[in-house]
Amino acid sequence: MSRWRHLTVVGTFVALALGLAVRMAYLNVTERAFLQEQGDARSLRYETLAASRGIIFDRNGEPLAVSTPVVSIWIDPTQTELTPAQVGLLAKASDLDVRELAGRVARYAHREFMFVKRRVSPQVAHDVNALGIPGVHFEREYRRYYPAGETAAHVVGITNVDDQGQEGAELAFDNELRSVQGRKLVLKDSRHESVKDIEYITAPRFGRDLALSLDLRLQFFADRELRTAIEDHHAKAGTVVMLDAHTGEVLAMANQPSFNPNELSRVAIDARRNRAITDVYEPGSTVKPLTVLAALESGRFSEDSVIDTAPGYLQVGRMLVHDPLNRGRLSLGEILARSSQVGIAKIALTLDERMVFDAFIRAGLSDSTSCGLPGEVVGKVPGGELKNPIVRTTLAYGYGLTITPLQLAQAYLMLATGGVRLPISIVRRDSAPQGQREFDTETVESLVRMMKGVDSAHGTAPKSRVAGYEIAGKTGTARKVGPNGYDDERHVAFFAGLAPADDPRVVVIVVIDEPQGDKVGGGDVAGPVFSRVVARALRVLNVEPEFAS
Amino acid sequence: MTKSRVKVERRATWQWGLAIGVIYAAVAASGVWVAATAQSVRGLFVALERNQDQQDALLDEYSRLLIERGTVSSYQNVDQVAERQLAMRFPEAVQKVSR
Repeated sequence: MSRWRHLTVVGTFVALALGLAVRMAYLNVTERAFLQEQGDARSLRYETLAASRGIIFDRNGEPLAVSTPVVSIWIDPTQTELTPAQVGLLAKASDLDVRELAGRVARYAHREFMFVKRRVSPQVAHDVNALGIPGVHFEREYRRYYPAGETAAHVVGITNVDDQGQEGAELAFDNELRSVQGRKLVLKDSRHESVKDIEYITAPRFGRDLALSLDLRLQFFADRELRTAIEDHHAKAGTVVMLDAHTGEVLAMANQPSFNPNELSRVAIDARRNRAITDVYEPGSTVKPLTVLAALESGRFSEDSVIDTAPGYLQVGRMLVHDPLNRGRLSLGEILARSSQVGIAKIALTLDERMVFDAFIRAGLSDSTSCGLPGEVVGKVPGGELKNPIVRTTLAYGYGLTITPLQLAQAYLMLATGGVRLPISIVRRDSAPQGQREFDTETVESLVRMMKGVDSAHGTAPKSRVAGYEIAGKTGTARKVGPNGYDDERHVAFFAGLAPADDPRVVVIVVIDEPQGDKVGGGDVAGPVFSRVVARALRVLNVEPEFAS
Repeated sequence: MTKSRVKVERRATWQWGLAIGVIYAAVAASGVWVAATAQSVRGLFVALERNQDQQDALLDEYSRLLIERGTVSSYQNVDQVAERQLAMRFPEAVQKVSR
């Protein structure tokens, strides 16, 4: 009994195994082609799950870069034979030329993939889908859109077609902003339609949003006034930088020429440069306050010191330093207000060899601002030949060194904070960072008092006056270097200042490159830009006017 | 065969039967559980897809609204409306107003 049962069980299993083997051999031999085709057609495929890149906002939540969904429409010409009527409907719904689409469909007849149209709006995709043409597929993608357009293009930057940051904040914070597509495993039929979702492999990861320090309102003012000045003076280029005097945040950073980040096809590479951090200039007289700061710190000069600049020129070695006219005896404040070369030269030659150079270094003129934007260049403050009085003199009034507008802004920020050097940030800060004290508060405050004369009737920039507020600043007009040394025809006009002078809220730097016409000085070209930008900025920032004008 | 040995074998048979019964029951329960879980996974998968579609739709709308807000409330727009439609101007002088 037991033996019979044993044989029955074994026999059954052997028969089953044999049956399976025979069936397998039969299918492999006779049905191979059919099964192979069916297996290929009904196969497992990975499908992506789109995720959008993080949004870039300004400090008040205004959008600067937003990813908006678009849909790419595609077909597999080897699987889908479109009739002429279908091509016509498809072309009409996708806003394409019928003949062009028909020609393309014919050319791609033997390929497995062809875009009908890329990056159309979801509404267009919906209309195409409503046609119900079999074999037309839709792929969801995202397109980056910049609502502020040209206004903040250099700071916000751009992405490439693969949604990767290429310039500006888009590149600097790419890791945070970047999204990661998810993946799922699906079973697809021969027409590439998903038959069944098999497995969820990874969830899509959306990019993190980013709040920049920019205030779009102030950025708009800076950009508009800069653009107007560039047009009025037929200048080659220009930059306006505005920093928050309390936190070191960049409130505005405008450059001209600019570009429309939403339409990159016709943009010159030159227009895409963020000149505030990539271009270096000889700063001219804008560094004179730092020379006076070194003088005050030395103890050999005070606010009451008077220097005789007569007869209006000074021979330093083989170099003749001269003022436009003989101004006689000037106080330190008047030397700054009138930008006397002779006065500054005499101060520089009175001080120890390294004093002015050290003041420049401590003000950060040879350091990166580390603002967080890519491509920042660091200027050069040469300290090798300070024994030479010509080098010391020219350095004191801003020649022989090169800095970026943002470095100059950081140096003036140090004056606004009473001698504390703050790190610059392009990302919004919740509180003021810990700075590093470089100069005494009293010395710096004394200097800022002297800088108030710049917009007086005798100063170099009466046009930099801001109604209702007292400002402190300095003009600069630097000749550019040409093939034969300094060129008398090409200038860079500067204005650097703080407002309000007694309790600075903003630090603003204006640079106009190669203004044309009779008036090319910092006071005439850059001063008015400073005035208009600061007047609007202080109102927007709710800074109460100090007096009626 | 002694009486006691027969008793032991009977008990062993009874215990084997119980164990097999329990195993059968466990296998059956496990099968039902697998089927129920598979059904639940399918349900969750469908819910996930639905939620993701909803998330996509909401994000789409959010991004479009953000862009629209950015365009409408841009200072360029505000400035033009203020100057051209409302005839407003930026005050060039500061006046002290006494109450």
